[in-house]
Amino acid sequence: MILRYLPKRFSERPSDFFVVKALSQDMHEYQVRVDWTRDRLGELVIEGKPKVQVAPPPEFDGPTGIMTPEDMFVAAASACFMTTFITFSKKIRFDFKSFSCQGVGTLQKLEKGYEFTKLVLKTKVTVGSEDIKQKAERALELAGKYCLVSNSMKCPVEHENTVVVK
Amino acid sequence: MLANSLSEDTHEYDVKVVWTGDKSGDVLVGDKPVIRTGRRPDLSGTTEFHSPEDLFVASASVCFMDSFVAFTQKMHIAFKSFEVDTKGILEKVDRSYEITRMYMKATVVIESEELRDRITRALELGAKYCYVSNSMKCPTQHENIVIVG
Repeated sequence: MILRYLPKRFSERPSDFFVVKALSQDMHEYQVRVDWTRDRLGELVIEGKPKVQVAPPPEFDGPTGIMTPEDMFVAAASACFMTTFITFSKKIRFDFKSFSCQGVGTLQKLEKGYEFTKLVLKTKVTVGSEDIKQKAERALELAGKYCLVSNSMKCPVEHENTVVVK
Repeated sequence: MLANSLSEDTHEYDVKVVWTGDKSGDVLVGDKPVIRTGRRPDLSGTTEFHSPEDLFVASASVCFMDSFVAFTQKMHIAFKSFEVDTKGILEKVDRSYEITRMYMKATVVIESEELRDRITRALELGAKYCYVSNSMKCPTQHENIVIVG
């Protein structure tokens, strides 16, 4: 067993961890499974959701055309930014026509091995009128601030937001 | 990936998320199969797709597998099966939420007892050099089970 930067409260016995406990309202659990299938391939299994074939990227001796953990790391932040933006759009009460976010993550070799050192999220939102534009810009700012996935990552996240009236 | 001045020790990952209506979107990575994210109400109720939190926990789990497999190949050892069950905990930290810890339980089946020590070592190294977990703020606790079977 390897313990890394464990805070004091993280003292449960490992085997107790999967026991369903009364979680507080402010706590949520996410459970996933990865099964190795062959060679360098595996399958991501989450109950009730489509299975995803996974592998390392070609630069780390993996095949092409298959979702990698590096892709999913960047995707998690980009998708979280989208869902947080949607939540704020509902709170601020405005409609948008389209939303597209391109995430670019940079993986760099540091002394201890590779780490993501930078994440850039380039987002384009289309709205119907000029007066909604400011609201959308504000929702994008708030989404950047409250995106729980980026807030769980060590690397800095840069945002390039564009709101277009169409 | 665009050809640019990245060094050998730097790699870029380019992902696009496009909103598809309501609370869902498509995760697009080159020509790889699309991962749908969020939720979509349909005739039979609500279809749940991968949430951003699922993708976060999944990225660390898949990276751990890739890292373990890479070490077994370096060490020239074989195994019969590998699976990892991961649980990520999302908690309120100050005014917003963060994934505060992850627990990974890996089960590996091997052919013979004499491989046990080396497989255990590959699991430890796999965890230590897992790029994705090392890019996350939260601690990851590992429980490794090696079975001869």
